[in-house]
Amino acid sequence: MQNRPSGFCNPWLQLVLSVACVLLSEFLLKRGATEVADADSAWSWVGINGLASSLVWWAILLIIASFMSWLYVLRYIPLTIAFPLSRVVDILVPLGCWIFLGEMISPLRWCGIALVVLGLGLVAKPIAQIEERL
Amino acid sequence: MSFLAFFFIVVSLLSFVAAQLILKRAMAATTRSGFRNVRFVAKVTSGIVLMTISFFLTLGLLQRFDLSYLYPFQGLSVIFITLMAAVVLKERLNLRLTIGALLISVGIVLVSLS
Repeated sequence: MQNRPSGFCNPWLQLVLSVACVLLSEFLLKRGATEVADADSAWSWVGINGLASSLVWWAILLIIASFMSWLYVLRYIPLTIAFPLSRVVDILVPLGCWIFLGEMISPLRWCGIALVVLGLGLVAKPIAQIEERL
Repeated sequence: MSFLAFFFIVVSLLSFVAAQLILKRAMAATTRSGFRNVRFVAKVTSGIVLMTISFFLTLGLLQRFDLSYLYPFQGLSVIFITLMAAVVLKERLNLRLTIGALLISVGIVLVSLS
């Protein structure tokens, strides 16, 4: 990884922003796609009719913002580290539902969350070493 | 799940993986040759086109299946991208990163299956 800018331009901060935008867009896409679902439409397999929902458009804006941050991240961080870390979003969704919505998490799902956290720890370890050298 | 659904899930996943590899190559090259060149624009455009294909296919799939049903397939992208980045982009991949990516993939599948 090359020497990278600090502050708002810090690629690690941009990775966090990218993940936050993806997290919100996932919820908006699901709600938006469901509210205008029309399984009988000839084009429904390619999702074009999802554009009729305003939530889908908000999600698209967030995806664009996340994409810009992600491009910036790719400039500085190897894909083998950045991409696995970006999937923290996959455990933030069920954890968010558990913390804020009071939804139950099954034992199997807890196991999955534990594995992802363990995996993130393994991927993040070299980052700490890289940062120490910088 | 029908063959058609499986086909669209696979196409969506492959387009997403290919897009990430192309975008990484494009952005890594900017540190040497900057942004104002035809190769950079061509690579970023191809990456965006592939991501757009993947996006609309996912949107179409979301209208038929729950997010929790489609997530295991998204989880597979972690291990695919990690391995492909090592093979195609020649990024350094050690045992720790490989096991980490594998655990994240399996974890995502478990989270979405349960």
